[in-house]
Amino acid sequence: MDLLINGQPMPLPDDAVDPAMPLLWVLRDALNLTGTKFGCGVSACGACTVRVDGEPLRSCVTPLSQVQGKAIQTIEGLGTPETPHALQRAWVQHQVPQCGYCQSGMLMAAAALLDRNPRPTDADIDAALTNLCRCGTYPRVCAAIHDAARALQKDAPRPSAPASAARKAT
Amino acid sequence: MRRRTWLLGATAAGGALLVGWGLLPPRSRLGGKTLLALQAGEVALNGWIKIAADGSVVLAMHRSEMGQGVHTALAMLVAEELDIGLDRIRLEQAGHDSIYGNVAMFVAALPFHPRDKEPGHETDGVRLGERLVGKLARELGINATGGSTTIADAWEPLRLAAATARAQLVGAASLRWRQPREEITVQRGVIAHAASGTRGHFGEFAAAAAGTPTGEVRLKPRETWTLIGRPAPRNDVVAKSNGSAVFGLDVRPEGLLYAAVRMCPMLGGAPQRITNEDEVLRRPGALRLVRLPALAGLTAGVAVVGRSTWHAQQAVDALAIDWAPPPAGTVDSAAIATALETRAREAFANDGGLPFHSRGDLAAAEQAAVGSGARAVEASYRAPYLAHAALEPINCTARVKDGRVEVWASTQVPGIARALAARAAGVEEEAVTVHVTLLGGGFGRRLDADFVTQAVAVARVTGGRPVQIVWSREQDMTHDYYRPAGAAVMKAWLGADGKPQTLRIASAGDAITPRWMERGLPWLTGPVDAPDKSTAEGLFDLPYEVPHQRIAHAATRSGVPVGYWRAVGHSHNAFFSESFVDELAQAAGQDPVAYRLSLLGGMPRHAAVLRLAADKAGWGSKPPAGRARGVALHESFGTLVAQVVEVSAAPKLVIHRVVCAVDCGTVVNPAIVVRQMESGIVFGLTAALHGRIDIVASEVQQKNYPDQKLLTLAETPVIETHLVPSTHAPAGVGEPGLPPIAPALANALFALTGVRQRELPLKV
Repeated sequence: MDLLINGQPMPLPDDAVDPAMPLLWVLRDALNLTGTKFGCGVSACGACTVRVDGEPLRSCVTPLSQVQGKAIQTIEGLGTPETPHALQRAWVQHQVPQCGYCQSGMLMAAAALLDRNPRPTDADIDAALTNLCRCGTYPRVCAAIHDAARALQKDAPRPSAPASAARKAT
Repeated sequence: MRRRTWLLGATAAGGALLVGWGLLPPRSRLGGKTLLALQAGEVALNGWIKIAADGSVVLAMHRSEMGQGVHTALAMLVAEELDIGLDRIRLEQAGHDSIYGNVAMFVAALPFHPRDKEPGHETDGVRLGERLVGKLARELGINATGGSTTIADAWEPLRLAAATARAQLVGAASLRWRQPREEITVQRGVIAHAASGTRGHFGEFAAAAAGTPTGEVRLKPRETWTLIGRPAPRNDVVAKSNGSAVFGLDVRPEGLLYAAVRMCPMLGGAPQRITNEDEVLRRPGALRLVRLPALAGLTAGVAVVGRSTWHAQQAVDALAIDWAPPPAGTVDSAAIATALETRAREAFANDGGLPFHSRGDLAAAEQAAVGSGARAVEASYRAPYLAHAALEPINCTARVKDGRVEVWASTQVPGIARALAARAAGVEEEAVTVHVTLLGGGFGRRLDADFVTQAVAVARVTGGRPVQIVWSREQDMTHDYYRPAGAAVMKAWLGADGKPQTLRIASAGDAITPRWMERGLPWLTGPVDAPDKSTAEGLFDLPYEVPHQRIAHAATRSGVPVGYWRAVGHSHNAFFSESFVDELAQAAGQDPVAYRLSLLGGMPRHAAVLRLAADKAGWGSKPPAGRARGVALHESFGTLVAQVVEVSAAPKLVIHRVVCAVDCGTVVNPAIVVRQMESGIVFGLTAALHGRIDIVASEVQQKNYPDQKLLTLAETPVIETHLVPSTHAPAGVGEPGLPPIAPALANALFALTGVRQRELPLKV
């Protein structure tokens, strides 16, 4: 059995996995790709979010059989140390993470959002980023997504780092 | 000698010894070079600092990083005093020595009133108490990250360790170059003598420095700081943005097995017969079953070891287990809530409970007020049990092999984890190594290391292979050490000017510290509970001037496991006290900000932080149509925070904006302070709007996030934080942002609707 993860075919040991096994545990325990996190097991928190054929997907409730032959992207494949994704640069610029545990899922959900909606509004971010964060990084997540969106629009000038969250009181 | 005389003599001698001990200088926290393990080319200069061959610095990191930014802030203190770039400091986990113990956390447990400990004007009692407890804490050396104390605790010793190392490096350069110390400078890790044009990095002088006398060591004056007070980037943000940060669940030692845990659903109960064990263990990927004892406060249960977490979880879920209820009988949170209110009312009516603060002659003043035409305001408040619900579920990895134990844990208490592991494995503490990972949220839950005993119990039977125990979210939420439920009754008589002349408060709630010590430090517990301010804090220590007061707390023991939850007693007591002050302002017909300011005579820092929040929120202006504002001011962990919340409620509640002002003394990293305020506010809004744990027949009803909602991104208001410049010693920021948000929100809802809510969570 093979999975296509971050552009690489990954062979799975037959005796280690089961078609019913959720993708989360295949990634974490069979492949040691521990960047994708376990938070709730019931698709409620989004810490396990990966992208499958570009779409955000909660891997804790997705059986292996459903992702066979599809392109899976995890946080390990979002960028590289030399060329981080625009979101990862914005994450550093805005100093988004606190404990950091939910951030892989946040970033993968945000990456999926920006691919289908390059200039999301606050309301678009509210609707797409349903991931839970116990530390309260939400205002920074929001600001960093806006910043990454601007950075990805190559013709738009690169804004300087705002001192506080970009969102305005409504 | 008669026994009585002998006892008196012994007590006198003991007292004299105690006084003598108290006068000795407290144990130094500089530490010896031998505390640090050396890699090739490294030189240790004291118990905190090593210099590497390339001139970079290795800092022994004694505290746990759980999002609050201490790994960065502590490195900043060291980089500042050493005059080296923050990026040249690498962290290595500190070992187990008393220099790494948390002194400030124990000192902060003393129930002093803020009016007695204004910086620079502390009373003799405060000075003496803090000195003795501080000295004792240095002897105990208990390493804990909690109570928002990391920076306050490290402020002097860590800067001193760095300054001492710097003095030795400069001394070594002075001897080698034969130039006076005063002419040698250090900048960004380069030691230089301008006149002779000589220079070199730390690594070139480290070996000589280790044997060089320090000379006089002076901390840098504030005006020469280049790092402290500036928003340096965190040293963990890149790893937390690319998936490479290692939390407890991410360690993968060679040959790792996984185990899923299932404890008795009734807290304090235990598994009895398991009817399908053989059948379950025949499942592919399931390896063996381990019964888990009720150690360190845990509820007993079972674990199944498996090839993956999923295989183990599937198997443990499939077990058919007969559960026995707790021997002392089951408990219900609804009944406990009623009992707590009854207990608070009794203490209120009968001068009961432990009076943490008394002032004036309350009984006479109350008697004089009755029938005088003065107005009284009386109200009672309630708060529920709460779960920590950190995103990283409880877990621990352990290997027991050849008489040695290795533990990988996301823990706030590595020393306690080591002691519990040793006890669970039946080995000496020296045979245990604890690796502290990053914590996927702590919030006080990981001040308990109960789960370490489970990991060791399982690892004892896996033939030397390491095993990672994992609690499902359901296990995590239903087997927490909960924020205790609480109740308070308050009454104030108002004078002709509307100001309170009397204040009587009686609260009731379970004591936390004695229960925590029974679990983690049983050798420090006594036959009776010592007075515990942890659930009384936030009521007895109000800053407001009221001539006659009695603020008492009745410590209870309700049978639910309770623990430290972010901001601890302040988390609910600020809701009680700051809602009540709002009620007094309303009764007096006065503006809530102006009313509070009128009661803050002699407390200029409190008044300043309140004014700042009010000004920045435009308190004096009328809110937009359909909206209202509420305010709260609260001091916790030495930090003063005021918040103004703006809300509307048609058609549904929207929190538009929170303006936060904070005075935490000297700011080490303003970017982290601002984010910790945001963090406390979001955490506190979850509690104010969604937070409750209900217990029926000892079984927790909320099992997972759909039952115990967290605030979402969409619900999060705009948050603006303003810092009060200060030269006082730094206080903590991990918790103080939380307490004012619930009362500020409740006060805003009152302003909007005219309905006063006196129970959490708020109904919206």
